[in-house]
Amino acid sequence: MTANSPRVMVELIKVSKTYPPSVHALQDVSLSVRSGEMLFLTGKSGAGKTTLLRLLCRSEVPDKGLVEVAGQDLERISGSGLQQLRRRIGMAYQDFRLLPRHTVAQNIALAMEVAYRKPSFIRKRTRELLERLRLSDKYHTPAGELSRGEQQRIAIARALANRPDLVLADEPTGNLDRETSTLVMELFREHEEQGATLIIATHDRELFDDGGHRVVELRDGRLLAPEDGEDTGSGDASLQSEEADQ
Amino acid sequence: MNFLRAIIGQTLRNLRRTWSSQALTLLTITLSVLIFSFFFLIYINMINAGRHMGDNLRLIVYLDEEPGKPLQDEYRRKILKFDRVERIEFVSSRQAYERFRKQLGHDQDVLEGMPRNFLPPSIEVYPIRSLATLTRIKRFSDYLQTLPGVLKVQYGREWIDRFYSFVKLMRVVVILSGLLLLLTTTFMVAHTIRLTLCSRERELELLRLLGASNQYIRAPFFLEGALQGLVGSICGLAALYVFFDWFRLRFAGTAVLNLFPFTFFPIPVVLTIITAATLLCAGGSFFSTRRITRL
Repeated sequence: MTANSPRVMVELIKVSKTYPPSVHALQDVSLSVRSGEMLFLTGKSGAGKTTLLRLLCRSEVPDKGLVEVAGQDLERISGSGLQQLRRRIGMAYQDFRLLPRHTVAQNIALAMEVAYRKPSFIRKRTRELLERLRLSDKYHTPAGELSRGEQQRIAIARALANRPDLVLADEPTGNLDRETSTLVMELFREHEEQGATLIIATHDRELFDDGGHRVVELRDGRLLAPEDGEDTGSGDASLQSEEADQ
Repeated sequence: MNFLRAIIGQTLRNLRRTWSSQALTLLTITLSVLIFSFFFLIYINMINAGRHMGDNLRLIVYLDEEPGKPLQDEYRRKILKFDRVERIEFVSSRQAYERFRKQLGHDQDVLEGMPRNFLPPSIEVYPIRSLATLTRIKRFSDYLQTLPGVLKVQYGREWIDRFYSFVKLMRVVVILSGLLLLLTTTFMVAHTIRLTLCSRERELELLRLLGASNQYIRAPFFLEGALQGLVGSICGLAALYVFFDWFRLRFAGTAVLNLFPFTFFPIPVVLTIITAATLLCAGGSFFSTRRITRL
């Protein structure tokens, strides 16, 4: 995390997204996430978690509202500005988005290569991440030959490879057993301690049941207010939604 | 430095993954360069042969009577006014007789009893040695025919006409094969890269999401095209050289090869062909990757 990073890493104000013909994925969602915060985004399948993450890396654009990441309005950013911002974001996709014919190492290295990292750094970081995720023996294995659980870990490794300022993880433990989930969470916490902002979309309650992190819930595209007495742990970060306003 | 390393690494990976279509494109480029350079080689050797033959080229203008000094000057002035020539020689009837006698050698006794001025006087005009001269020689001859006192103008007219027609034909063939080279290299490379783009659309989209710059995505394709042009043209020229060498050895000592020096392209021409093919292929790939920036 750089010294001049903004205090608020993610800001969504009254963001709506509708898919044709009339699927309201997000409706007037407002949310602020502090730099260095780990936020859990929960909700049932189809609640809008993935859409929200996709808006944050500008795979999608909102129909309405403001989306800011690292102080930059994603609607106005384009070209090299967007490319540079995306290099600061690590996204672990729910469908992994691995290149099946590339080896595990090549898949992880991709994120670092586009940022023109030195080959020695790329090799070292790839080995380190594979070791942490207990996949060292898969270094040269094509990603297409891995199990879903292994592929998920590779997608996480790729998201963290560049030591991004913002990590977006969509159901990162959906295909993992308890022990491997713990490994992944340890890695996430380590990045949080190093100053990264993490937004983890999950419906696995065990990941956030320790109560140490803010949890927000999406239901039918709307952000719910925190339950009475539940500490969001967000400090000066605010959690708002149209429902909360009402 | 890291950028270059990343681009080269990416290019080599692409080449390994799509080697079959790359090989097909390479073969097409090689054949195109081979066809073009084959005709071009014949063409430039024809031009050289034309120059070589031009060394012995002269127009003989037969006159009806021996020209005096003023008339010689007049002829010289008129000839030089029409075109630049290397030299003009006046041959009197006696000189023509002496030459003829020498040419007859042991058979010169056939001239016994013949008057020494039975051959007409003539002017020998030696044009400047160039292929352009060959193309103008007919006009020159027609002009000389119009000069006063001229009986006949003689030169290897039939031979020159045929030669010039052949050179003209070769020029058309070279232009056509050049066009073929232009089309095949640019279109084949562009087509291969378009196919690669389609098959790698998912990967390119992922690269975009990871924050890859346009240069990072496009440069490997550009490099791929340039590499195909470079390797394809070198292979094509190497194949032509092998054929040229075989031809030279096979027909060594034959009349045609003794008459004309049959040579391969000089180094600058080889380099020009390689550079042109490389640039064409790189250009083809550059234009076909424009759509990537819109992904």
